[in-house]
Amino acid sequence: MLSKLREFQYLRPRSLDEAEELIQQFGPDARILAGGTDLLVRMKERGLRARVVVDLKAIPGLAGIHAEPDGSLRIGALTTLGDIERSSHIRAHFPLLWQGASCVGSVQVRNRATVGGNLCNASPAADTAPPLLALGGEAILRGERGERRLLLEKFFTGPGRTAMGQEILVGISIPPNGAGSSLYLKHSPRRAMDIAIVSVAVRLDVDSQTGVCGKASIVLGAVAPVPLRARAAEQTLEGQRLTAQRLEDAARAAQEAAQPIGDLRGTAAYRREMVWVLTRRALVEASGAGEGSTFFQG
Amino acid sequence: MADNQKAVGVSVPRIEAREKVLGRSVYVDDLRREGMIWGKVVRSPHPRARIVHVDVTEARGLPGVVAVLTAADVPGDRYVGPLVKDQPILCSSSVRFEGDAVALVAATAEEVAETARDAVRVEYEILEPVLDPIAAMSPEAPQVQAGGNVASYSKLRRGDVEVGFRAADVIVEDSFSTQMIDHAYLEPEGAVAEVDAEGKVTIWVCSQYPHYDRQEVARVLGVSLARVRVIQTTTGGGFGGKFGSPLVSCYAALLAARTGRPAKVLYTREESLRTTVKRHPYRIHYKVGATRSGKLTAVEARFVGDTGAYLVVGRAVVGKSTSHGAGPYEVPHVKMDGYAVYTNKAPAGAMRGYGVPQVAVAYESLLDELARKLNLDPIEFRLKNVLREGSQTATGQTLLHSVGVAETLERAADARREMTPHLKTGKPYLKRGIGVGVSWHGIGAARSPSQATAYVNLCGDGSATVLCGSVDIGQGSNTLFSQIAAEELGVPLDQISVVTGDTLTTPDCEATTATRVTYLSGNAVRLAAEKAKGTALELAAKHFGCLPEHLILARGKVQVPDAALEISLTDLFKKHAVQQISALGVFSPDCTPLDPETGQGSPHATYGFGTHVALVEVDQETGAVRLVDYAAFNDVGKAINPQAVEGQIEGAVAMGTGYALSEGMIFDRGKILNPSFATYLLLTAADLPPVRVGLVEAPEPTGPYGAKGVGEPSMNPVAAAVINAIYDAVGVRIRELPAVPETVFAALKTRQPLPADR
Ligand SMILES: Cc1cc2nc3c(=O)[nH]c(=O)nc-3n(C[C@H](O)[C@H](O)[C@H](O)COP(=O)(O)OP(=O)(O)OC[C@H]3O[C@@H](n4cnc5c(N)ncnc54)[C@H](O)[C@@H]3O)c2cc1C
Repeated sequence: MLSKLREFQYLRPRSLDEAEELIQQFGPDARILAGGTDLLVRMKERGLRARVVVDLKAIPGLAGIHAEPDGSLRIGALTTLGDIERSSHIRAHFPLLWQGASCVGSVQVRNRATVGGNLCNASPAADTAPPLLALGGEAILRGERGERRLLLEKFFTGPGRTAMGQEILVGISIPPNGAGSSLYLKHSPRRAMDIAIVSVAVRLDVDSQTGVCGKASIVLGAVAPVPLRARAAEQTLEGQRLTAQRLEDAARAAQEAAQPIGDLRGTAAYRREMVWVLTRRALVEASGAGEGSTFFQG
Repeated sequence: MADNQKAVGVSVPRIEAREKVLGRSVYVDDLRREGMIWGKVVRSPHPRARIVHVDVTEARGLPGVVAVLTAADVPGDRYVGPLVKDQPILCSSSVRFEGDAVALVAATAEEVAETARDAVRVEYEILEPVLDPIAAMSPEAPQVQAGGNVASYSKLRRGDVEVGFRAADVIVEDSFSTQMIDHAYLEPEGAVAEVDAEGKVTIWVCSQYPHYDRQEVARVLGVSLARVRVIQTTTGGGFGGKFGSPLVSCYAALLAARTGRPAKVLYTREESLRTTVKRHPYRIHYKVGATRSGKLTAVEARFVGDTGAYLVVGRAVVGKSTSHGAGPYEVPHVKMDGYAVYTNKAPAGAMRGYGVPQVAVAYESLLDELARKLNLDPIEFRLKNVLREGSQTATGQTLLHSVGVAETLERAADARREMTPHLKTGKPYLKRGIGVGVSWHGIGAARSPSQATAYVNLCGDGSATVLCGSVDIGQGSNTLFSQIAAEELGVPLDQISVVTGDTLTTPDCEATTATRVTYLSGNAVRLAAEKAKGTALELAAKHFGCLPEHLILARGKVQVPDAALEISLTDLFKKHAVQQISALGVFSPDCTPLDPETGQGSPHATYGFGTHVALVEVDQETGAVRLVDYAAFNDVGKAINPQAVEGQIEGAVAMGTGYALSEGMIFDRGKILNPSFATYLLLTAADLPPVRVGLVEAPEPTGPYGAKGVGEPSMNPVAAAVINAIYDAVGVRIRELPAVPETVFAALKTRQPLPADR
């Protein structure tokens, strides 16, 4: 049940050091605030009581999209999904991330919500998670002992849980995307303001000469306690020529990897079926085996 | 209006548009009074339980808490309800649905009131809830209400269906079920109450019927009607939900009366979704027969409306299904049996369409099935059967005028033709289809007498005030009244002031429901304005020594066009010592009530009709359905404000598509699992195509300028059209609303051989 926000202490550090100190000082009583689109909803619900809220938005340098000369990308944790959506560089060079970010909520939500918040909230259905995992993204974390990097694949440990200690996510770094082709598909009854029943991000490096698939990434959303990398499915494709049969086999393997639960948005059985449908569809489109332009439901 | 300017038939902007757009309109939530307290309702977490004990000690002791009330503290009557008084203001012995009210707390701050609400300890003896309406009808089922679970039974008998089915060459039969949905208005329910030094109570409330709120508040407080004044605040939508649900006003009034301080009670969205009235979920069985040549011979139907814990208007809703259950068609033999049944769920009440959208899904689905079996085009088939001038309805009413349904079908055929090139998708798994839905809706409540009253005060400068009890809940009736008065009195719109929504100054006009305001209240306003004008013209006729018929009133002057003479109203009034001309307009539609045994009669003076065409795209692999294109043709008699009518229709398409595809309260053992807009899925702008609206105007001679109404007729056929389009796309018949992806997916799995690829 939503109720009125209860009183809390609001702190607005001006530097990362100051923020880190506050987090050490207040421990689990402190909640980090970015866009607040998850945090404030949870604070109005009865579950989450925050005594101290540490707002990161006054810290300089935490927002921004930086294209590095080597083709890699660094995104500040406080970058809004709206800024990602409006970035022509991301749209052109990291379309998978662009697709994930632009299908979150609504324009208003995206203008508030940050990519860091989307990851740290650790919902298995977070729309930027499968794309960022598939792109091989790394979390840049800042803690007492300085900065460390953690592959996003290792970042999520359960629904609402991450491998972060008393740390702040400062940014995400993504290796060069090369010529990989990719697609993010989100299945939700509504075309806006809706959480995925099932989502899937695929990314394939297919040699245009030989038709052989190099690295393949298949990441599933909303069908496991964490955004789930379907390794067996990826292996079905790697080093192989991509025939229709192979793509189907990979989709079956992804389906087997899924461990969905049933909830208001769909039964476990339906989710399992949808993993197969969406993975196959995404692979077909991304590998160029499908007809027409890429299908993207936002 | 003056000269050749007209006010009627023109898309004038809303009177209140500027205020709303600038954020200046005052809603309940905006009201603050000196010393105001906040009320919160303690609600049952169980769908059915006996109240063993209520302990308010802790809540009462909290700092800032000024009142904790239970049923024993209600000074007057403890039960409310528009048809029967079966809903307790506060429950004392048992609770009948999850959310039933048990106690009321108030505090100086909203947060404190929330804490106090949670500190009231209620001990319950939990009982097995009655959830399935069919099982509830069995005499062995536990009783939700003392009089038994079957709250009402309405019948319709016309001809002999046995004979009708014998005459049929093809018969189709099927069962359907529809879900519980919420009105989901932008503004949840709320009220502020204040008691003045003389002990008179004033309530500010967002409401569809302030005079009814006044009745219930007066009863609950045990005071006379004259001591209660209800003022309607700007109302952010109603759709039936803000009528017949006077609880929020009663709570604010009880707290104000008890504490002597102004009190505000504002429901949260969750409270609104969980506890206020809903659309009746239906279980429906239909059987329809037709001859080879495509003439309907018989319709037989039985439906059960789940009215939840309290009747509210359940009897009338199911009655409307019964009288409208044969559709806008000529059918010689009809048999309908409708039941409203109590269960331990949130009470169902009035909602746009009032029992018609449910049955329209069933009969329009079966008409499509029949058309297919008969190898007839669905529109051609319907055209062979629709009501026309001179036709008799299933209730035996002969319709003499304003039956525009055939024209809506003809225009729908054109729209379908325009849509046909867009059936291709370019993806093998995406299939498109076109569906048609036809429906009708009787204007006004199905009973007599029903009446609307308005006053018009014509001032010396030609301007006028209109006083009417029918409130504007966002649909634009205040603007409509000003258009009508301006038209009659020959002045520009800004010369008319409309006063509604205050029980102190306006006559009780009954509720803003039942698509009745344009027809009934619009007539009352027109009659009052006409009378005021008539009086002015008679005065002028004396002055000029001519007949009043030879005079016209325009811009505050009476003119003799032939002689190029004129006199201002100011001079005319001065001459006759008249300060202003006040006139009363009363309108009562010509209806005869339905016979309780046969359901025969003329329940409505006139009907609105519509044919809607939906183009949908179905993802055969996921079951997802998307509305791609939509055309709506409604016979409204006359569009007094065409843009307002279009707005009503566009809104109805959004609401009806949500009903068809995504909305629904989800229950687990009587508890609502999705009391939030994150999980109760209203469609968004991204889910809906632009709606192509086509207005058909078959004038109703007894309507103001020929107008009937559009609020509900525009809602009724939407879900039917969408469901028929799904069949056309992928060959599966959805019998259970809403057609969420998983439901469609399950239906696709059991599908017979695929229809030929397009
Ligand atoms: C109407 C609505 C629709 C939505 N639709 C979608 C949708 O379609 N898809 C989707 O994926 N999500 C959706 N969301 C969820 C939400 O908007 C996103 O998860 C968003 O990206 C969260 O970002 P934020 O900046 O608002 O996070 P916040 O609410 O500020 O924070 C979220 C959590 O992360 C922690 N946190 C935030 N930043 C950091 C940091 N830098 N370091 C450490 N911890 C941090 C916070 O303490 C909190 O626990 C929706 C939310 C709403 C209200």
